[in-house]
Amino acid sequence: MSVITKIREENFPITYWILAALVLLGMAFGVTRLVLGLGATTNLSSGYPWGLWITFDVFTVPFSAGAFTLAAVLHVFNRKKYHAVAHLALLAGFLGYLLVVLVLLMDLGRWDHFYSVLMPWRWNLHSFMFEVSMSIAIYFGVLVLELVGVVFKGQDWLPVQFINRLIPLIAGTGVMLSCVHQGSLGALFLMLDQKLHPLWWTPILPVLFLTSALFSGLSVGIFLSILTWRALDKPVPMRLLSGLAKVVLVIQAIYLVLKIGDLLLAGEAGLVFGSGLLSVLFLAEIFIGVIMPLILFSSRARESERGLLLGVIYTLVGLAINRSSIAWFGLRAPAEATYFPHWMEFGIVIAAASFGILFFTLGIRYLPAIRKGVLEEGHH
Amino acid sequence: MIDKETHMTNTLTRREVLKLAGAGASALLLKVDSAHALDEVVADDAAAVLYDATRCVGCRACEEACKAWNKLPPDEEPPSDLTAHNYTLIKQHQEGADESFRKYQCMHCVHPACVSACPVQALTKSKDGPVMYDANKCIGCRYCMVACPFHVPRIDWSDPLPIIAKCTFCADRIMHGQIPACVEACPVEALTFGTREQILEEARSRIKQYPDRYIDHVYGETEAGGTSWMYISAVPFEQIGFPKLDSDPVPELSDDVAMYGTPSMLVGVAALLGGIYWATSRRNEGKQEE
Repeated sequence: MSVITKIREENFPITYWILAALVLLGMAFGVTRLVLGLGATTNLSSGYPWGLWITFDVFTVPFSAGAFTLAAVLHVFNRKKYHAVAHLALLAGFLGYLLVVLVLLMDLGRWDHFYSVLMPWRWNLHSFMFEVSMSIAIYFGVLVLELVGVVFKGQDWLPVQFINRLIPLIAGTGVMLSCVHQGSLGALFLMLDQKLHPLWWTPILPVLFLTSALFSGLSVGIFLSILTWRALDKPVPMRLLSGLAKVVLVIQAIYLVLKIGDLLLAGEAGLVFGSGLLSVLFLAEIFIGVIMPLILFSSRARESERGLLLGVIYTLVGLAINRSSIAWFGLRAPAEATYFPHWMEFGIVIAAASFGILFFTLGIRYLPAIRKGVLEEGHH
Repeated sequence: MIDKETHMTNTLTRREVLKLAGAGASALLLKVDSAHALDEVVADDAAAVLYDATRCVGCRACEEACKAWNKLPPDEEPPSDLTAHNYTLIKQHQEGADESFRKYQCMHCVHPACVSACPVQALTKSKDGPVMYDANKCIGCRYCMVACPFHVPRIDWSDPLPIIAKCTFCADRIMHGQIPACVEACPVEALTFGTREQILEEARSRIKQYPDRYIDHVYGETEAGGTSWMYISAVPFEQIGFPKLDSDPVPELSDDVAMYGTPSMLVGVAALLGGIYWATSRRNEGKQEE
């Protein structure tokens, strides 16, 4: 946060250098991982073939969903007044997906064979791993186009003009791909009905993943907007953000009904209190991630900067609890297996987060198109 | 952390609820006709093996033969679990007065979760029975390891570029009319090789002949939609480390969602977005004209 509050100063505060150092360190870990293999750099095992990195990916994809939800607001719903907010979410989404791709590469045991995914005759359409990776790859291309269109807007450069003419189509494709892969990410766990605890395993997992991605993405848009406008010493555009919070409220209500309704219908509501630590995780997600924001966003707190900020932070903490429960804590491992991430696994995730924060703030400093949108808000 | 018994029975209920009630929007969308998405690849004349736990004496000749045929490195100490260098393993299970050996290896499911999970078709189910692996295609995502209900696929974590390691069913032998190395090595005929039809018949006839010796169940006949390796035993199968599985193929639901859910989603979202865009652009035009 201190980084972002300093971005108006024309020097580089120490926090920049700390973040840059963490990123460099993480790159060194990454190279070590690729050269020495998973055994030397992770604590993964046959009991825990997936760990912290997959959890990071499963969290960062819906965290980056602001890019597509706000692209929909801007280009499909034609609410042009949201352009500055949408551009912040686009920048964050681009960085988020870039990091997902990089961390996913870390996780590929046979990374030297990654090109296998690019060979159509090998594609397995039944596999959600295929669907997710392909959809993310194409969507990343969409994000690059959208970002190029924004950053170079107004330049009479033919490709850019072309992109900006086609932007409703490009953005629409992105929204479509996102709806699919946000759900597919949940569908990855459909096959694990023997392993994923029934508090989380349900046939409607894809629907729950998509719904939570929708409200999380919008929440990230609100979150980054408040921080950025504050950092640039401009009044936060409360009317715009409260409007988004209203949408978050509706989707969170739907999510709550789906989640609780599904448990009740399956006759498994008893698990909510009878599953030890897992019950705590489940309840923590519901209370912190859904009930608290519902209270805040349905009251007058929605009209205040602090209320909004608190609400979206609760939402994102809830998202983190939910995705880590599904990708890590709620997955049953053989009795003798244990897993606590290796320090290099932590190192790479910390580096990824640092990379995101660093380049988001640098983006606001050095990408005039995005910065200008923020500064001009409220002047028209 | 998780209570295994309730965990399993509960997931079964969850599936049944879906089936019975057809509850929720996704059910309407996804539960079309489950028979279609899974390819029917395994005929009754595909290869199969019967392991008779009452005959096994735990000599581990099968393990040795497996290592020799697959050229796997020797172990410094006897393994307690399947590893990247141990495609098969005999374990002794004891629970109260019940004592039994059990052979572990890939079950070569009729509808393998790993094959469905693999993004690049590095794992395939052969019509002859074996679940085959092609390292040249594999990217090492390890979804197969996560998806396998029998916890079978392994990798050598110390290898910088590891391959997925599991029993091959000696595909390179049975294609040439030989029987798997472990079956050949067993001195007490605890392992029997044949077609799936023959093996089931043999298993049933042994149970019928000696009803006192066996539990009246062939594990693998229906579990997870059926497996190519099947088991008969004197002690309940849960006591020798078998998961309790219903007869639904593990990848069934996932396959249905992939084959029907995804396309419906794409078409649905496209139509919705198109409609909204059309409506909101018109509204904006209207505003401008005013």
